[in-house]
Amino acid sequence: MEQDPARRRALRAMGALGAGAALMHPALKALAATTDHVELPFDNGGRELIAFPQKRPLIVLTSRPPQLETPFPVFSEGPITPNDAFFVRYHWSAVPTAIDPQSYRLRVGGKVNAPLELSLDELKRLADPVEIIAVNQCSGNSRGHFSPRANGGQLSNGAMGNARWTGVPLKKVLERAGVQAGSVQVSFDGLDRPPLEGGPDFIKALHIDHALDGEVMLAWAMNGEDLPMLNGYPVRLIVPGHYGTYWVKHLSDIRVLDTPFDGFWMAAAYRVPDNACACVEPGSAPTKTIPISRFNVRSFITNVADGAKLPVGRETVVRGIAFDGGYGVTGVAFSADGGQTWTEARLGKDLGKYSFREWQATFKPARRGTYELKVRAINRIGQSQPTDSLWNPPGYMRNAVETTRVMAA
Amino acid sequence: MKMPICKIVRTLVLTAATWTSGAHALEIALPPDTVTYEQSDLPGYRLVQQNCLICHSAHYVAYQPPSSPRAYWDATVKKMKKVFGAPVTDEAIPEIVDYLVKTYGAERSQFAGRSGTDTRRTN
Repeated sequence: MEQDPARRRALRAMGALGAGAALMHPALKALAATTDHVELPFDNGGRELIAFPQKRPLIVLTSRPPQLETPFPVFSEGPITPNDAFFVRYHWSAVPTAIDPQSYRLRVGGKVNAPLELSLDELKRLADPVEIIAVNQCSGNSRGHFSPRANGGQLSNGAMGNARWTGVPLKKVLERAGVQAGSVQVSFDGLDRPPLEGGPDFIKALHIDHALDGEVMLAWAMNGEDLPMLNGYPVRLIVPGHYGTYWVKHLSDIRVLDTPFDGFWMAAAYRVPDNACACVEPGSAPTKTIPISRFNVRSFITNVADGAKLPVGRETVVRGIAFDGGYGVTGVAFSADGGQTWTEARLGKDLGKYSFREWQATFKPARRGTYELKVRAINRIGQSQPTDSLWNPPGYMRNAVETTRVMAA
Repeated sequence: MKMPICKIVRTLVLTAATWTSGAHALEIALPPDTVTYEQSDLPGYRLVQQNCLICHSAHYVAYQPPSSPRAYWDATVKKMKKVFGAPVTDEAIPEIVDYLVKTYGAERSQFAGRSGTDTRRTN
């Protein structure tokens, strides 16, 4: 008889620790009690839930380097994602595990008049602190839902989060250093490193105008507390409305450049088709690509899960979140009949144009049976979400109208 | 004004504690890998343990779509060597690719003599 997949994976996980034959050992029973599993809704979607340092149990995409996805029910708790539930994404396994805030330094160099080497305290005193509520989302969030499948980290929809960030504008730091005429880009490097010589260090770059827009910031706090180590302690870059690839963690070196940065993570990775939809015919390759940049529009139902049972003849409040690349969500439409008819959802409090925007709608199933719930957001400049998924080879920027199937009984 | 000596000491200790707590390094200990490469008689099994585990856990491989074709695994192993600096010899690449596609990819079921989406064993 077949074991159920979750149990099979649990056993495999135990086996990996060299304990497959000793399931009754007390220490292992304790371990088993803290190891949970989830089945993400695509082929080969079985995952472990493990509590990493400063984190509650999260979905493990990879353990080395740590890459953790937020379990989707967390998003029904409110518009702010708690620090201990916030997703984690690294590229290289040589991640910092001990950082002394007294000896930490942030260097600012390149085409500047006065190179800086700032301590954390000096950075905090460099300008009046600012706060912004902003979504961070992985470029490959929801990659596991691509059809045809796209290789890479097989994530469901939990590689996103919304937090209140505290820091100083990057502009103030660059002004202190004095940007020289003719500068075109600014590059950002953190303390995470390739484990072997020869691997390209994870360095990202922004156009000089973007770096000086006053919104990009260097943050040391997240939801009022120090950044967790795995989210970039002690300082990370915040690039509101832009994919997480630019939000460099454990920020250590900022360089002002007079030629475009051509490192691997800009020139070869994190690139999307150079067209309005960032998409190509499924299975084909783009002729020209550009660096990924702003989020497209997305919306989700958060309090009703796929397969949920709802009461016939009674009103259910359906709640969720919507966000975009920073123009601001202006409307959310809800459908309970698979997209044939739509009603306007009621928007929640506006926490800023870069934040999750809560919404809610009511649904009263008149008869027994299955219903397809859908939600679709629109932003201030008229961008919305496609009914059918768009496709690109790296599996970035999914933003199709999502469907939640429920049963009324 | 006179202050009891014990209160002075306590104040000094509290002050020192405040100073040092501000100076504390943040340190974390990451948990061990929980996924291992699937056992196999293919020569690539030994090679992935020698080469791939240096830099990353087996999750990267284990969670790819089971439909992933040989061309994907071939391109990925070559990228690991040429771009990411993995110490893989050119002779080892075909054997690693063979193990990966037959254990995790599109040639998995025919290798295992089974169909379906999960032919992996529990070790």
